[in-house]
Amino acid sequence: MRIYRELALRSFRQVLTYRGATLAGLFTNAIFGVIIASVFIGYYGAVDGAAVRGWSEQQTITLMWISQSILMVMYLWGWWEIARTIQTGAVAMDMLKPVNFVGYWLSRDLGRAAAQMIVRFVPTFIIGNLLYSLLAPASIANAVAFFASIALGVVVSFGWRFLLNISGFWLVDHRGINYVAMAAINILSGLLIPLAFLPDPILAVVNLLPFRAIVMIPGEIYLGQIPIAEGLAIQVFWSVALLLLGGWVFSLGEKKVVVQGG
Amino acid sequence: MDSLRTLRTLGEELVICRRIAALRLRGQMEYRTSFLMQIGGTLLGQSTELAALVILFHRFGSLGGWNVGEVIFLHAVSQIIFSLADTISNGVQTIPVTIREGEFDRLMIRPVSTWLQAMVNDVSLRHLGMLIQGSILMGWALWAVPIDWTAGKVALLLVSIVSGVALFTVIFTIEAIVAFWTVNSIEAVNAFTYGGSDLAQYPFHIFGRGIRFIFLWIVPIGFVVYYPSLTILDKPDPLGLPGIAPLMAPLMAALFCAAVGLLWTIGVRHYRSTGS
Repeated sequence: MRIYRELALRSFRQVLTYRGATLAGLFTNAIFGVIIASVFIGYYGAVDGAAVRGWSEQQTITLMWISQSILMVMYLWGWWEIARTIQTGAVAMDMLKPVNFVGYWLSRDLGRAAAQMIVRFVPTFIIGNLLYSLLAPASIANAVAFFASIALGVVVSFGWRFLLNISGFWLVDHRGINYVAMAAINILSGLLIPLAFLPDPILAVVNLLPFRAIVMIPGEIYLGQIPIAEGLAIQVFWSVALLLLGGWVFSLGEKKVVVQGG
Repeated sequence: MDSLRTLRTLGEELVICRRIAALRLRGQMEYRTSFLMQIGGTLLGQSTELAALVILFHRFGSLGGWNVGEVIFLHAVSQIIFSLADTISNGVQTIPVTIREGEFDRLMIRPVSTWLQAMVNDVSLRHLGMLIQGSILMGWALWAVPIDWTAGKVALLLVSIVSGVALFTVIFTIEAIVAFWTVNSIEAVNAFTYGGSDLAQYPFHIFGRGIRFIFLWIVPIGFVVYYPSLTILDKPDPLGLPGIAPLMAPLMAALFCAAVGLLWTIGVRHYRSTGS
């Protein structure tokens, strides 16, 4: 266990060293947060601020700032570290290490996410609160569960990204998959719009997919839009399912891998 | 005499640059599958945002007093501008990497403008997926919104698009200029490139005073998309700027380009090679 903790701590510190990049990222998050919030305020103006599909203006805006704040924590786009090690052959070295391959990358990702909570989530969420009167968590229990839900969201997000990455055992070029993955995350996770806005038949399908466990459920738990136990249970299910699936697919890829020496 | 020589040098530079660009393009066409995949991918990514827009209009009916066709017109203009600028400035966007790897020196010892060289060094057509989508959206908007086209409106649209392409190309250049000092904070420029093109897709008056000030008077994106569109769609200006505002796109873009051009010169002068 100590080795996993150590791995997590390493990547935690690594994130903290890039201060300039963090500041720049915060600025970009803030501008996008303001643009998105302004657009939703505009939409709600058309219905005189009435709730739409059970979502009030303040709830929607709070949800959008939560998404902006956890964007880098979840690392939704462009994480191809494992795929690159498969391309370069460095993956062979990682496979030789006396640690579980999934555990090795998961602990690194958890360390990274923890650091992003401090440098990206907290400041972005404070900026959102200063610019807009965001809603407080539905209760103290919801606030506590919110953080648990973010942690589980990171595991689900990692499980998804792990699968995308190890597709590199079979695919030479991950760009095509990257586009499909980005499109899926955008529309199916609740990043662009609260999922409740989707037409019912589509919503019924989307609710069966893992993506809402990454962005939507943490937001719903914060706002009290979903029973805490139900939200966390869905996330636990997808965390376990995706990690097991990842481990199994990896074992298939492991047998197939051929690394050129030299 | 001097200006004549400058003009001739510029002509020669353009010939060289065109040749480099043609070479790069031919190289890319060797990887046709990868190229088509990237175009398809951009289309797919953009279509999710369009789906979100359609769903939101289905739920809310209008945005800032504009109907879905009018907002799609803004989306079309903004995406056409952005995709052209993104395509042109692809090379400029790679300057930060060039600088970090010490490769920028190579550009400096050649007798062609560094900016032009950087620009044609990495010409890429992969962002054109967005142009396809922009054109489809334009078709949709023209079908959905009855516009009284006049020669003046067509000219206004074309001039605004050209001004917009120049403006965004130059915003991408700022990223490169920042990199002459630090390669750490260039992500901040994304707020104006991606953020700016995103914002331009919506009726400008729904934004607050602060955002409006930034995107009109510092980075004049509002002048190249929103104001010309007001005139083309025959809508009144809820912000109450003088009646000349819809015609300001070329002037504002030119002023912005001149300012950034000056910064570029200062940046190149400040440049110290990484020496590796």
